[in-house]
Amino acid sequence: MDKLLEILQDLKPGVDFALEDDLIEDGILSSLEIMTLVVELCSEFGIEISPLDIVPENFKSARAMHALITRLRDED
Amino acid sequence: MAYNSYLYIVVFLGLTLLLYYAVPKRFRWIILLLASWVFYYLSSGNLIIYLLISTASVYICGLWLGRIIESYENAKASVPREERKAFSDRTARRKKLVVFLALLVNFGLLAFLKYSNFFADNANTISKLLNLNVLIRSRRITLPLGISFYTLMAASYIIDVYRGKCRADKNPARIALFLSFFPHIVEGPFGRYDHLAGQLYEGHPFSYRELTFGAQLIIWGLFKKIVIADRVNIVVKNIFANPQAYSGLFVILGVLFFTLQIYAEFSGAMDIVTGSAQMFGISLAKNFERPFFSRSVAEFWRRWHMTLGAWLRDYILYSVSLSKWFMKLSKFIKSRLRSGAGKTLPTIIPLFLVWLFCGLWHGASWKYVLYGMYYYAIMAAGMLFEPLFSRLCSALRINREGRLFRALQLVRTFILVNIGMLIFRAPQTGTAFSMLRSVFTGFNLGVLTNGALLKLGMDIHDYYVIAVGCVIMLVVSLLQEKGVSLRERIAEKNIAVRWCIYFAAIFAVIIFGAYGAGYNPVDFIYAQF
Repeated sequence: MDKLLEILQDLKPGVDFALEDDLIEDGILSSLEIMTLVVELCSEFGIEISPLDIVPENFKSARAMHALITRLRDED
Repeated sequence: MAYNSYLYIVVFLGLTLLLYYAVPKRFRWIILLLASWVFYYLSSGNLIIYLLISTASVYICGLWLGRIIESYENAKASVPREERKAFSDRTARRKKLVVFLALLVNFGLLAFLKYSNFFADNANTISKLLNLNVLIRSRRITLPLGISFYTLMAASYIIDVYRGKCRADKNPARIALFLSFFPHIVEGPFGRYDHLAGQLYEGHPFSYRELTFGAQLIIWGLFKKIVIADRVNIVVKNIFANPQAYSGLFVILGVLFFTLQIYAEFSGAMDIVTGSAQMFGISLAKNFERPFFSRSVAEFWRRWHMTLGAWLRDYILYSVSLSKWFMKLSKFIKSRLRSGAGKTLPTIIPLFLVWLFCGLWHGASWKYVLYGMYYYAIMAAGMLFEPLFSRLCSALRINREGRLFRALQLVRTFILVNIGMLIFRAPQTGTAFSMLRSVFTGFNLGVLTNGALLKLGMDIHDYYVIAVGCVIMLVVSLLQEKGVSLRERIAEKNIAVRWCIYFAAIFAVIIFGAYGAGYNPVDFIYAQF
C-alpha cells in the first residue's frame, strides 16, 4: 500500500490519496492520468491489467487500486 | 432521409412507433429491424449490401470466437499443468486471428470505400516526386450511409467478445439490429453491444412519459438545428467559400459561427435521435455534456462527441498501451528517463495513434490529419509541461482552483477549440493557416458599425434570433450544469402550463426556423462521415 501511495503522490502531488474515496467522480484523476497510472502499476508490481479492469470501481480510491493489484497478483 | 425532415419525424418515426406498439412485445424487435433496413435502403439503396456484409462478418467471427473460448474453458482443467501455458498461448493466437479477420473485413471495406482515393492521390504524388511512371486512377465511390459509425460499432462488438466483456451472440437479428438501428446509424452515438443489444431486442411496453420526454428532446434538437445551425450556415458558407475576401473580425465571426453551427447541429441531431429512441423505451449513450464549460482541451474531448472519445480510449489507447510489446517499451523509456517525462511518455506515445485515427476518421484528407495532430500536440504538451506549470503556479502563489484562473482556463480552451474548428472547416490546410493569419493582419473594428456584417447573408433579425437562441442554449446548459433536469421540471407543471411550453417550442421552430424561401436545406455535417 505504501508503494502505491507513493506512486499516486508522485502522479498527483497535494492529494490525500489515503482519504479520498471517489477519485473518478470527484474529477481528481482523469482518464489520461489513469492510463499513466496503469502503465506505472504494471511496471512496478509486475501485473497485467486488462482493459476490462480499467473501470471506475477499481480506480476510485487507493484501497480499490490496492485490492485490484492484490487480485491480479493472486491470479498470476 | 434527414432526421430534421417531415418525412422522418411525421411519417417514418410516427409509422414505426404505431407499428411497434401495435404488435405483441415479443415481435417488436422485428418492426425495429425492418424499419432500420427500410430507413437505410431509402437513404443508400443497394449500398445496404456493405452493412449486411459487416453484420454477417461480425456475427460469424463472433460465433467462431465464442467456440474457441468455450472449448478453451472446457479443456483447461484437463490440460496437464506444464502444457497449460502453451495451450493458453495457442488459444490466444487463434482468438487474435479471428479478431484480425473480422477487423480486416470491416476496416478493409471502410478503407476501400472511404480512403482509397486518398491513398491513390498520395501514391501518385510520391510516384511523381520519384519520377516513376505509375498513375493510380481515382474512382467515383459513393460512401454507404453511416459506414464510419457502424464499422466502429462492429469492431467494438468483436473486440468485446475477444476480451470477454460480452458473450458471442447466437442470434443474428440482435447483431443486425445493434448495427443498423435507424436512430444511431447516420451519426451515432456509438452504442456498445452490452448496453444496447438487449434493450433493442426486448419489447418495451408503451410509456406516455417516455413518449413525451422523447418528443421534447426531438423538439429541442430541431430548435438547435433549424433555428440556430441552419441560420448561421449562410454566413459560414459565405466566409469559408471566399476566404481570401475576408480577414480580421469576419474570419473570427466565421469561425465562431461555425463552432456554433456544428455544436447546435451535432448536439441537436443527438437530441433528435436520442429522443426518437426514447419513444421506443430505448436509451442511447450520451454524446455531449456541455463541452464549452471545459477547462482544458482534454476535458473538452471528454464532453464533446463522448462516445467517439470512449471508443478511441477503449479500443485504441488501451489496446496499444496494455500490449506486451508496449509495456516493454514503457519499461525501457522509464529506465532511460528518470524524470516526469519517463512516466508521461508511455501515455503520450499511444495518444499519437489515437489522434491520427481520430483525424482520419473525420475525413480522408491531410486537413483532417492536421486536425488530429493539432489536438495531439496540445494534449501532449499539456501532459509534458504540467509538472513545470504546477511548480510555476506554486512559486507565483496562483490558486488554480480560483474563479479567475478557472475563467481564464475556459477562455483559453474556447480559443484553442475554435482554432481546431477553423482547421476542420477550412477547405484546405493552407487556407486554414492563411485565414488564421488574416485575423491579425486585417483586423478592423469598423466592420461592427458600417453594416458590413449585414452583407453576409443574414439580416439584423437573423442576428437577433441567433442571439436569443444562444442565450436560451446557455441558460439551459447552465441549469443542466447545476443538475437541474428541465424535462422533469416541465413534467411537474400542470397540464395547461406544460402544453403552453410544448406549443411555444413547436411554434418557435416553425416560425423562426431557417427553412423555405431564402434558405437552402443543410445536410447534417456528421452524416457525411
